[in-house]
Amino acid sequence: MGFFDKAKAALGLGGGAPKAAEAPQRGQHKDGRPPLRDVPKADSGGSLDDALAARDAGKHDEARAILAAIDRGKGLRTVLRAAAALEARDEAELEGLLPAIRASEPAWTLALQVAAALEGAPPASSLVTYARQVGAPAWALAWTRSATADADERRRGMVDLLFADPALARTVAARDWKVDKAADDRASVERYAGFAHGRDAIRRFGAAKVAELLSRARPDGSAPRAAEKKP
Amino acid sequence: MSRPLLSLFTVDRPALAAFEEELKELFYKDDRDALITLLGFGASFAEQVRAAPRAVDLFLVPESEATGFYASVRRIAKKRALEHAWTSTSPALEGRLREYDIIREDAALARSVDALLDPRRVPWFLRRPGGTAGMVSAAEGEGIAEGLQSKEDLPEEVVHLAEALAGLDGDLLCHDGLL
Repeated sequence: MGFFDKAKAALGLGGGAPKAAEAPQRGQHKDGRPPLRDVPKADSGGSLDDALAARDAGKHDEARAILAAIDRGKGLRTVLRAAAALEARDEAELEGLLPAIRASEPAWTLALQVAAALEGAPPASSLVTYARQVGAPAWALAWTRSATADADERRRGMVDLLFADPALARTVAARDWKVDKAADDRASVERYAGFAHGRDAIRRFGAAKVAELLSRARPDGSAPRAAEKKP
Repeated sequence: MSRPLLSLFTVDRPALAAFEEELKELFYKDDRDALITLLGFGASFAEQVRAAPRAVDLFLVPESEATGFYASVRRIAKKRALEHAWTSTSPALEGRLREYDIIREDAALARSVDALLDPRRVPWFLRRPGGTAGMVSAAEGEGIAEGLQSKEDLPEEVVHLAEALAGLDGDLLCHDGLL
């Protein structure tokens, strides 16, 4: 049995429901799935890219298995795992993951990564509003503003980013906006990578589903917890 | 290559903010003609501005790819909001400020001096790649002057800077490439 098959079996995916005679054993959920601690970890061989590639190929169960295997309990992998659970209507798994989504810090990052991945489509504007409320920095708001299909709004975002953080603006100009003769500014490459990696993975996964996940995690639109507020 | 000399400029903050806002608004609107007028571009630069996909694109490339554009913005910003007040005669001044142990041993003074050399305090269009720039308020400038003048055995170039700072009123820009 290969890695994916083992991971899928461990999650109870693709193998059908447990037989009636097989009563849940100690440490197992009632539906036969093992607790998360029994799921293979990232060093078992899967990667986020593997999971997204599986989704691209329409193998959603396999993608979920990989996401579960590489989940470290927080961050992008957890977010996408939860979004996949939402998509599969796996309420049991989703409920277990929502606290980690609510606790993700800084709170604005995920909201703006999703908004940027949505490229201006709803509910991008409400995510931006939320991010602003929880202290998103000017550069992140500007970058997200530039990530829209509307040419005027896009240009305004580019201008905002130039005035907020010229080094990052030049790196984004080189990598995202494809401005002629633009080049990375070394001072900002790491920050670029940190934000863009999440945005691109969310876009590839399906930004609308991740936005739905955020709405589920913060149904009131959001009262951030005190710990998430900036001083 | 000789090291550049640090200069001090008094800053008209409202005028500088107004220029920054005007520039931003032109980029927002992508108003090429107004930008050409504002920056006083000749025919060659004007043609490049009109040919660019967006006016702001010209400032999203490294300065080495658009030297004339950046220099023009600095020139107009200086004309609008800066007044030259003093220039050091010693290329060693910046090194003294950053390294001299008598300054560095006084943490508060060192922080203030560093602010004078911190380009993050300066609008993006006044920064020069590899150059030195910083901006301090009038009170910070006075604090640096007093702090430096309270020390003994400072190098001559630092003493001259302290004297210049003590004699100036208002917010100050320190820059090595605006003359």
